[in-house]
Amino acid sequence: MRTKDFAYWLFLAPVLIALTLVVVVPMLLGVYYSFTSWNGITTGEFVGFQNYIDLLKDERFLDSLWFTTKFSVVSVILINFIGLSLALIVTSRIKSSNLLRTTFFMPNLIGGLILGFIWQFIFIKVFASVGEMVGMESLQVWLSTTETGFWGLVILMSWQMAGYIMVIYIAYLQGLPKELLEASEIDGASSFQRFRYIVFPLVAPAFTVSMFLTLSNTFKLYDQNLSLTGGGPYNSTEMVAMEIFNTAFVQNTFAYAQAKAIIFFVIVAIVALFQVYWNKRREVEM
Amino acid sequence: MAKLLMEQLTKTYDNKAKAVENFNLTVEDEEFIVFVGPSGCGKSTTLRMIAGLEDISSGTFSIDGKKMNEVEPKDRDIAMVFQNYALYPHMTVYENMAFSLKLKKMPKAEIKERVRNAAEILGLMDYLNRKPKALSGGQRQRVALGRAIVRDAKLFLMDEPLSNLDSKLRVQMRTEISKLHQRLKTTTIYVTHDQTEAMTMATRIVIMKDGVIQQVGTPKEVYDQPDNVFVAGFIGSPAMNFFNGRIEGNYFVMGQTKLLIPDSALPNGLDNLEVIIGLRPEHITHKPDKDQSTVEVNLDVVELMGSEYMVYATLEGRSFVGRVDANLNLSAGTVFAMAFEMDKARFFDPTTEKRIK
Repeated sequence: MRTKDFAYWLFLAPVLIALTLVVVVPMLLGVYYSFTSWNGITTGEFVGFQNYIDLLKDERFLDSLWFTTKFSVVSVILINFIGLSLALIVTSRIKSSNLLRTTFFMPNLIGGLILGFIWQFIFIKVFASVGEMVGMESLQVWLSTTETGFWGLVILMSWQMAGYIMVIYIAYLQGLPKELLEASEIDGASSFQRFRYIVFPLVAPAFTVSMFLTLSNTFKLYDQNLSLTGGGPYNSTEMVAMEIFNTAFVQNTFAYAQAKAIIFFVIVAIVALFQVYWNKRREVEM
Repeated sequence: MAKLLMEQLTKTYDNKAKAVENFNLTVEDEEFIVFVGPSGCGKSTTLRMIAGLEDISSGTFSIDGKKMNEVEPKDRDIAMVFQNYALYPHMTVYENMAFSLKLKKMPKAEIKERVRNAAEILGLMDYLNRKPKALSGGQRQRVALGRAIVRDAKLFLMDEPLSNLDSKLRVQMRTEISKLHQRLKTTTIYVTHDQTEAMTMATRIVIMKDGVIQQVGTPKEVYDQPDNVFVAGFIGSPAMNFFNGRIEGNYFVMGQTKLLIPDSALPNGLDNLEVIIGLRPEHITHKPDKDQSTVEVNLDVVELMGSEYMVYATLEGRSFVGRVDANLNLSAGTVFAMAFEMDKARFFDPTTEKRIK
């Protein structure tokens, strides 16, 4: 192949230029700024690794990182579990499965901010009223504690993403050769055994994709966090993306925020790549 | 070992289309039954009803006197081989074969013994730790067979198991399956669209068309005594030749051609009636002496098969094929005398297409 052709580069040029302008250059600039005392207006002086040393001692940042990790682990498990369950339901021989598919997917079409406000209303007003009616005090204090804030976020995220993940699982489930399931039926497998020994191992590629999407989405969550809890109470439900935003735009320490962002990027990249590598090994070629 | 009874089996789909209609068949223990017919004739649907993968719309199916209509496939004690093998891609050959036994919670030692036995019969001992992807088509087919035989099931069902193999391998596997049946004696139902497979393997053949059984009989019966034009044309390769004409006295008349039919071969009461006669290629041949059943024809195509020629020619606007000994020197475009062995002719009614006996 004559890859050095002028035409070859001409066709690539739009993407290369766009990518360079909006991804590569800001990324490199960002790395550079993280070593300075940039405040958003003046670049400031070169401070070496000072920002990185500082953030290791920054409790608010470390807390948000820990909170985000917990949130991601729980959400990833829950979203994938719900997504796969929904996919199994709508691919089984039930009537109205098309209607159900649409319904389950709908939350994903609503923007994160609005979704946050909707759920805020549900958690604060609806839960409280129900709690009052049935006399359960635990329902009346939602989002006012770290605990309920955490689960509030998890519920919101699962509700939004499960339908999306469901679509991915549906695609893989429908791609399973029908004969394999029939063969297992004749081999004497009950529906649970069929799922356990045949379906589950064979939809492994769907796990790779879904885990990657859910992991990166939950780690980078911002707007739902903003509109549902706003990081409260006392910043205890503040996730990394929001913490970085606040560092930059509330405290105006841009360089420091940039250093956090770089660390955050590295963590997300490592986790996501490791996950893909690990899951890929379980996949089977048909 | 099992005796099967199918009574008025019918499969109707939601759109009222009937895939199988009034299927009646008794299968004796140890029989090797082949369902054969063109695509869409309902043979696979019938097999799937027997397997329990397809609901039976009406009629009954029973194994050893026990009604099976509502019994789950896993409880029917059957084993099935699929057209595209349906091997579990994430399991090794051993695991594939052991899967059903494992589900039955059979002791590990016994599973091992059974799998090894089957593997030995099928020559799979060296491949037990391989995944299906690393096997050739023939080996995969053997694993699929192995998965069926470890079960020690009452009934084997095979859905076009050889159609994904190349022709040489197909012939080889055909004999292996036949040998396997002789050895295990398990009642088997085998579906194919290939009449050669049906002829070579079956104890009895069931020929189907449009969801209806056309004839049931031994390979010899269906070949020699076909019930109708469809069966006569479907069984045998090259297919039987058909000629439309009229019986006048002892002659079959077709345009300008008159062929003498021996008294013994002519059914009664056909005088002055339109008929279709069927003659197999081996009955249109060459005879040194001309007689009243010899016709001179122009040879369109001559195919040398080694020991014989297949000669394609046209008579009264109808093309036909005959077989001639390879010792003669033939070439296309020449005029040649072909003898029609009218004592071997089969007579069919042109309206019902049924055979006149």
